[in-house]
Amino acid sequence: MIFAKTLRALICALLGILMLGWLTANVAYAQAPAPDEETYRIAKQLNCPTCAGRNLADCPTETCAQWKAEIKAQLDQGKSAQEVLDYFQTRFGPTVLQEPPKSGATAPLWAAPVGAAIVFLIGAGLVMWRTSQRNPPAAPSTPQSEGEDPFVAALEREVRQSE
Amino acid sequence: MKSKPLIIAGALAAIAVIAGVFVIALNLVAQQGARPAVGSPAPDFTLKLYPGYRAGLPEEIRLSDLRGNVVVMNFWASWCVECYKEADALEAVYRKYKDRGVIFLGIDYLDTEAPALAYLQQYNITYPNGIDLQQQIARAYRITGVPETFFIDRDGIVRDVVIAPLTEAQLSARIDKMLAD
Repeated sequence: MIFAKTLRALICALLGILMLGWLTANVAYAQAPAPDEETYRIAKQLNCPTCAGRNLADCPTETCAQWKAEIKAQLDQGKSAQEVLDYFQTRFGPTVLQEPPKSGATAPLWAAPVGAAIVFLIGAGLVMWRTSQRNPPAAPSTPQSEGEDPFVAALEREVRQSE
Repeated sequence: MKSKPLIIAGALAAIAVIAGVFVIALNLVAQQGARPAVGSPAPDFTLKLYPGYRAGLPEEIRLSDLRGNVVVMNFWASWCVECYKEADALEAVYRKYKDRGVIFLGIDYLDTEAPALAYLQQYNITYPNGIDLQQQIARAYRITGVPETFFIDRDGIVRDVVIAPLTEAQLSARIDKMLAD
């Protein structure tokens, strides 16, 4: 009887602890900052200002933490992603953007590959045209007689003999 | 034989790309210019001051408007750990010299506003401070990081540059020398 009561009390205590643990875990989970996809997406489009070649989203430095906090704060204020990007560009300059602007001093960066492709196509066309002009298409070939090329004739004779 | 024209066209395209990149690089170098050497004129600039950190100056100031004063120009950032080390010294020396024709300018580099203002408040800084918009001043002075301090004399000539946190004694010694000249 005492054993059964003790067992019941133990089970109740265990359930209580489990319930408390589950509740605490849920509370902790609820309090943890939810991954902010929009902040991350915008941060991906910006450069870390202090380390070369790294985007803001993946950089663990204090500067980047501050910038990410600023992105989040501006989104919380209701600003659009473009407005946030414009803010960073206005404040820190176009070099802050992962993709340089398609206008101004950085426009040639976008135009260069297109220009190179055009130069390549025009150049290739011109060179091929000139080559075809220099070497006009050969007249329809006629089967060569044995007497035309002594080397070929000798070769053919040898092949026939070996057969 | 047929690949030869393609090779020539590819070479032409490569030359065009290299030439384009070269032009862009030259343009960027020309924009950046050289770091102002000691003894050379300090490049002029406009600085928009933070509200509450103007010390009687207008919202937007030009360095050339401060001619006739000794200017101590300090680049800093709230994320810069080394800047914390000299923050108290800068404020103390500013208070010591502010009525003797010495102007301190804090130039906030690559900083967002909230942490920057929190930093200024934390160190009780009262001298004029503003944001270096688009890093134009940092580029003109070719700074290599923060903190970096330029000492500019009454004629607008760079007298010294220090790329490290400064102590009160180091600041005072440089200012005294410029005031004595």
